[in-house]
Amino acid sequence: MPADRIPSKESAPDDRSSFMDSARRTTEVEPILTVHPEPGVAKPNPILTMDGLRRSFGGLTAVDIDHLEIERGIVTALIGPNGAGKTTLFNLLTGFDRADRGSWKFDGHRVTSPSPDRLARRGMVRTFQLTKSLAKLSVLQNMLLGAPDQIGERLWAAPFRYLWRDQERINTERADELLEQFNLAHMRDEMAGTLSGGQRKLLEMARALMSDPALVMLDEPMAGVNPALAQSLLGHITQLSLSGVSVVYIVHDMDLVSGISDWVVVLAQGRVIAEGGPWKVIHDDVVIDAYLGRRRTGTAS
Amino acid sequence: MDFDIIFGNAARAAFGPEAIILALAAIGLNIHFGFTGLLNFGQVGFIMLGAYGTSVAVATFGWSLWVGIPIGLFLALALAVALGIPTLRLHAVMFAIVTIAAAEIIRILIGSTDAIGLTGGPLSVSFDAGAFFDLNPYADGPQDRYGVGTFAFTGQQMWVITVGWVLVALVSFGVFLIIRSPWGRVLKSIREDQDAARSLGKNVFSYKMQALMIGGVIGGMAGVIDAIKTSGADPNGFRPQVTFYTYTALLLGGTATYLGPVLGAILFWFLREWIESFLRQLAAEAWLPGAIADFLEGSEGIISVGMVGLALVLLMLFRPQGITGNRIEMQLDAR
Repeated sequence: MPADRIPSKESAPDDRSSFMDSARRTTEVEPILTVHPEPGVAKPNPILTMDGLRRSFGGLTAVDIDHLEIERGIVTALIGPNGAGKTTLFNLLTGFDRADRGSWKFDGHRVTSPSPDRLARRGMVRTFQLTKSLAKLSVLQNMLLGAPDQIGERLWAAPFRYLWRDQERINTERADELLEQFNLAHMRDEMAGTLSGGQRKLLEMARALMSDPALVMLDEPMAGVNPALAQSLLGHITQLSLSGVSVVYIVHDMDLVSGISDWVVVLAQGRVIAEGGPWKVIHDDVVIDAYLGRRRTGTAS
Repeated sequence: MDFDIIFGNAARAAFGPEAIILALAAIGLNIHFGFTGLLNFGQVGFIMLGAYGTSVAVATFGWSLWVGIPIGLFLALALAVALGIPTLRLHAVMFAIVTIAAAEIIRILIGSTDAIGLTGGPLSVSFDAGAFFDLNPYADGPQDRYGVGTFAFTGQQMWVITVGWVLVALVSFGVFLIIRSPWGRVLKSIREDQDAARSLGKNVFSYKMQALMIGGVIGGMAGVIDAIKTSGADPNGFRPQVTFYTYTALLLGGTATYLGPVLGAILFWFLREWIESFLRQLAAEAWLPGAIADFLEGSEGIISVGMVGLALVLLMLFRPQGITGNRIEMQLDAR
């Protein structure tokens, strides 16, 4: 990384216009391009490192990963056919499921007792395949829930409004900013249950950002969303990585991989069968066999 | 038929100690069920421990009432912890089963003949609540009545009612303060989807436990008032239907609202007593055929409970949000 880029990087978090600064994006992505694309390869600056991670349900091994690293600051797509273990892997990593064995490190620290809330507080925030908007809370309340360290969430402080009022105001400003970005500002005071499916996806993503996470894990953000909204979701994912957040997202449709992801990991039957730059992976024979073969051979022949 | 008496009786029940006890029980249950989504079907267990804790401390151990009351509340709190640690991680339905069973186990233990030395067993326990009534500012002669017609209370009742409603007001205000806070928002998020709450960094178990403890202690307060009102406690007064009446009151008034449980409790007792008095008056009418009069005679209470049940069914059909609830909010359930 060139030394003259460093000052601009440090000023970036204060300057929201740097979202559009594509020069910065290159600095983040460049190192990954030098990584040799093979399963389990070491990366220059991993945010997440898994070792010997294994989870089986009865006789079925859902996840069986020898070694996998997720690079910091880029968008990693996790693809694979149905039943490849993508969501199970997400559940393991975010503490919603327990691994049979194996370990992983998040942000340099080994995760010893994975509980979802603790991992979330440490900066690993996820969304769900089936959107979990909180229907009977307003959109704004949904957003405020995402804010970390609100002292008013402690029982002893709860009755005393003056203790948490200022924090609430700052969080509300941040929430309004994000709602604006995600085109949800007009729904601010509506119940989240009144949102459309796509708007709920947006809300869930915006809510996850309230905590300024280090790593955002999106489970099928594009599933069941109309093409126009899918494009806007893709735009948000790109913006996320521009603002320095690492993103891992599960995706089904290969066409949605190449546009925005910097790196692609392919799972099949619980194992990492390939990883690499999107262009490389799409043309990988193993991937085509395992995943795309059924769909593409017909058109190719 | 004398409607003055019917309305008088109904109003007396609606503002009397029974309504206070039910209101407190429902406020506690509202924290569990309304705000946190905990299907607590053992609210009577908390009431029972509040009542028996107070009664036993005074009657069996001879301690002051002012020691007995905190003991009752502490036991309700202890039940919340004891129930919560093993069961709060369970699925909602499992939690419902465990709570109803726990409340029954406690009732059977308290009412067993082996417990006679401690709780009075099936014989019930009674104590002297003089310490409470010594503070009574109302004149309490045999002729003193407060109110009009049949809607009148004795001086002692007035004292219980005054303290009781002040307590209901204070507790309601306290609940308002904590529920409108970010803490209350986390409770609601757990009610909506606990995995979402977890993914946002909230320790769901800890919040559920806090909710269970607060709601349980408020249930315990209902028990304390009950013990003072009757100067004792009887195991038969704490059957599972007490929990169901509490749910009825809560649903009538509107779950997850601040005033719902209080209005619901008032309405529950008003309706129940109105119907019962009405039937009693009806049974005495000369024009009524003897067979029907005989049927009504003595079963007014049961019929009135049945009618309240019917009212609840109609309510669920036509106004599922209760009296104070928000219909739009209810409909969001049918996603």
